[in-house]
Amino acid sequence: MAEYLTYMGDGKRIFCTREKIIDDLQAGMAEAVEVGNVPDLTSEELAMLCDIVCDRNRIVSVEPGNEVVLSNDGAQNKFTGDSGSSGCGIEMSALAAAQVHERALSMDTFEFGSLDNNYSVKPLKAVIAMQMQKMEDMQNSMIVPFFYGAMPNMGLYYEPDGPFGNPPDLMREGKIEEAQSEMEKAMDMMTRDIEFMGVKMQEAGSDGFNFDTTASAGDGDFLSVLRGVELLKKARPEAQTMVGMSSENVIGIHGMLDYKGQDVAGIYPHDQAKLAEMAGVDVFGPVTNTKSGKSLAWNMAYSVALIKECEKKSNLPCHVNMGMGVGGIPMLETPPAEAVTRCSKAMVEVAKVDGI
Amino acid sequence: MAYDQKASAEVAKEAIAAKADLVNLIQEGYTAGIQEVGDLYQAKKLFLPHIMSAANAMNVGVNLLTPELEKAGKSAGEGLGKFLICTIEGDIHSIGKDIVAIMLKVAGFNVVNMGRDIPVKDIVAAVKNDKPKAVGTSALMTSTMVNQKTFEELLKEEGVRDKVITNIGGAPTTQQWCEEIGADVYSENATDCVNKMVAKVKG
Repeated sequence: MAEYLTYMGDGKRIFCTREKIIDDLQAGMAEAVEVGNVPDLTSEELAMLCDIVCDRNRIVSVEPGNEVVLSNDGAQNKFTGDSGSSGCGIEMSALAAAQVHERALSMDTFEFGSLDNNYSVKPLKAVIAMQMQKMEDMQNSMIVPFFYGAMPNMGLYYEPDGPFGNPPDLMREGKIEEAQSEMEKAMDMMTRDIEFMGVKMQEAGSDGFNFDTTASAGDGDFLSVLRGVELLKKARPEAQTMVGMSSENVIGIHGMLDYKGQDVAGIYPHDQAKLAEMAGVDVFGPVTNTKSGKSLAWNMAYSVALIKECEKKSNLPCHVNMGMGVGGIPMLETPPAEAVTRCSKAMVEVAKVDGI
Repeated sequence: MAYDQKASAEVAKEAIAAKADLVNLIQEGYTAGIQEVGDLYQAKKLFLPHIMSAANAMNVGVNLLTPELEKAGKSAGEGLGKFLICTIEGDIHSIGKDIVAIMLKVAGFNVVNMGRDIPVKDIVAAVKNDKPKAVGTSALMTSTMVNQKTFEELLKEEGVRDKVITNIGGAPTTQQWCEEIGADVYSENATDCVNKMVAKVKG
């Protein structure tokens, strides 16, 4: 019986029959339906996914006319970072990296971010003047929409890195209400920082702000970004905002937060997109997390089922995150091109995403 | 659910005074309650404050009952042995590790939560001194997961690798990484960790 080269979610190469791939696709979809409360994929969609997984070509792509927008996060890190951060270890300036992405790699957007300053909202306040000058200089050489990018990274607002008490530590000591109170203080500060950073970078000519790995510190992190976007759009309505998530489900670290009456904790991409829209976000970047013990087929069907519903329910353009450990792609620092292109094709042609 | 520590203590005190079956109270009461909270947490119906509150309430009651059980020569749970758990050197992420610690305790392990950013040499020292059945390390970054490998190597250098079951977890870690560094068990999440470790120690 014919077998096809494919991968596990941890990157291990495996060979599977078409029947096994079909079984895994159905199981992955079933898991998404259960955890995310999303509809089944149709039999035609599952067949399309099966054909994508079983394609004998090493690299696959979309049919002409199905191309989508390619936006970016992580700024110049993909060249300058080391392999542990999916980088290539090539020393180049932020401007050179931006121009390579724009002119050689055909990215439709790019961003400037300070990786020397943790690529995070809080520490960047201290170097805002230098960041503004660089943004102004770089904008003079760029044509594609060029954003300022940073991670919200609310963890940096807590001890030992920040001024507020560490919520998990406080909870472990039984101080639940105090932990929640510290989170709320951190949220207020991060919201103000987002507005400050965003307004300053708009003054320097930025086309907008790209929030990378939103909600990595849970529901408070996500809520702060939503509030920050609201304030930024009020102050600078021309600022385009892209909010890319960090995980498929908003972790309930606070557990009792709401945004305009909608619960924040525990929600999946299709509900996250709704909150983003309410806040005035312009492009939403949903995420699904690859399960390392499952196959590429399982993870692909799981991810496509969740993202398809997000795309369907969202009035915003959705640019799904595709890379190491997300979007069905294996959890490897440099994921195999076979997996990256297959999952990307599935997202475009089955989940019908607006961009990647 | 109320997560009421005072009520939890009162129930324990009443049971002691009434000479009730304390093992049954722990297994059918406290443990059953927190298992339900754990299930709801996995289902994204309850969140971190709830599971931490429930664990705190359970601990208040169990801590009152444990001395009484020891006097009677009984064990509070299945007595699966000591389990050291920590976030590895260089890494300050602790939430997932703390939830795993709670769930392992519920399953019957005597859990020692060493905290976060624990130097590899300190974990090895704890293995030598405390002689645990198992040790679990968590890493949430590709830059810190390498310390799980260092830990395995240091255990071998110190001659205690075969004395303990090693368990690894954390977002960037995988079964393949587990095999590559020579760890015994990879856990994808808290439930996976409990299932695999209970099976491992029971043989």
